[in-house]
Amino acid sequence: MSALKTLKRWFVDPQFSRKKAFLRSLDIFKDLHDGELGQLVQALHSRNYREGEVIFVEGDIGRALFVLETGAVELTKPGPGGEPVVLYQLKPGDFFGEMALLESLPRTATATATEKTHLHLLYKSKLDALLNGAPRIGVTIMSHLARLLSARLRRLSSDPKLVAAKQ
Amino acid sequence: MTDARPARREFPFLPVFLVGGLAVFLTYHARAALTPFLLAAAFAYVLNPIVSYFEARGLRRVQLVVCGYLGAAALAAFVYAGMKNVILAETEMFQQRAPAYLQRLQEAAYAQQVMLTKKLPLPAKVSEHAFESALGGVMHTLQELPARVLGLLPFLAHALLIPFIGFFFLLDGPAGIEGTIQACPSRLVEQAIHLLSEIDKALGNYLRGLLIVMTVIFVISFLGLISLGIDNALMIAAISAVSSVVPYFGLLMGIIVGGAMAFYQFGTPMAFVKVAVLFLAIRGLEETLIQPIIARHSLHMHAMTNLLVLILGGELFGFLGLVFAVPAAGVLKALVSVTWSWYTSERGLELVTSEGSGVPYT
Repeated sequence: MSALKTLKRWFVDPQFSRKKAFLRSLDIFKDLHDGELGQLVQALHSRNYREGEVIFVEGDIGRALFVLETGAVELTKPGPGGEPVVLYQLKPGDFFGEMALLESLPRTATATATEKTHLHLLYKSKLDALLNGAPRIGVTIMSHLARLLSARLRRLSSDPKLVAAKQ
Repeated sequence: MTDARPARREFPFLPVFLVGGLAVFLTYHARAALTPFLLAAAFAYVLNPIVSYFEARGLRRVQLVVCGYLGAAALAAFVYAGMKNVILAETEMFQQRAPAYLQRLQEAAYAQQVMLTKKLPLPAKVSEHAFESALGGVMHTLQELPARVLGLLPFLAHALLIPFIGFFFLLDGPAGIEGTIQACPSRLVEQAIHLLSEIDKALGNYLRGLLIVMTVIFVISFLGLISLGIDNALMIAAISAVSSVVPYFGLLMGIIVGGAMAFYQFGTPMAFVKVAVLFLAIRGLEETLIQPIIARHSLHMHAMTNLLVLILGGELFGFLGLVFAVPAAGVLKALVSVTWSWYTSERGLELVTSEGSGVPYT
């Protein structure tokens, strides 16, 4: 029994298990099975960002979804005087830039790491490959994105200011 | 209102083109030394999906590669123990007889030429000149063939060195790609991943397809030659499989080398014809059954482009050029495609379908 445990410890990659556990904790990936999460871990690219490093700038063409594992990211837009206005503060477990997975359009805000940050990137063509090769993974992600998009649209269409402006 | 955005670079891929050009230049000058490394990198690249398959199940890469190598070494030792005598005898016999077989084929071809010259209702000099014009290239190729066939053997000698170097490439795995992404300026990370994934798609499809073709040609031609009772079946199959890196060259080598052996061994033209039919059948099988599977993932390059890059690669880099010309062209195509895609999306030239977007949310 202890030999089996030693063998398992020798063969099983703890870093990989940790990444899978992290992804499983996210809403967007929570419906995936263990094997599918393994495939997803391999499809992701990771990168460390220094404090103050710009991840992307408003207007850049987006082609990847970013998942924040550690650190903090700020989404900003230039205010009336040109100074950056913070739209949202992202914390570990949040993801952003997800609409780039649907179409390659300019980013609508600037993302900056406000402390030492570790991000996972899911690139559009990797998701396309998953949609072809492992459809359940791709469909699960796409379905979550569709629900997210619908929720945002619903919120926008019921915004009293916008409704009043239209009338 | 001031624009807080840093200036956008007009050609973010220019450094990639420059580094790529420099790499080609250096590879050209150090091609002899780089051959085993490039072949080992291709070897590791082709095997990587197997490691990745088990890695996705949470197993450590180093242990997987070490166990895989130990298993492969045990299997190779087992196969070698069973076929040791055949392999040694075949190698020795081939080295001794190949030049004589090919010499005999040339003599037979020359004899046929002389006979046909006599039969033609033309003055002898005119007939000779006509044959020289029509068949001069073929005869010249046949004369050079022994040297060319034996010239392939040093590459078979890399058989041990390639897996050895490939072991270290496999151990590193995607660490190199992750390192490149980490070193890349943060704003270019998405473009870098786009480029790497396009190159990966182009290279992977081509090299894996090539490996499938080579393996199928080797196995079927070996079994076919054995069933025809041809000597040196293993060597002929190996030469045909390695030569199939160049389209149609594997078929040609199989027919010429195998046919020459058969002709020498049995002394009848029918033996040559049987071997030729065998290799033509293998080619037909490859065209109808294997190529459609591979083509789904191919580089989607025109046949003439393939031929042109093969000629250029062979001329500039020799055997190495023949192996890597098409995938290198695929990488260049990926680079151009990524640059174009980046340019069109930056300039707003990409069409975005927005049909139905005017309908209110319901």
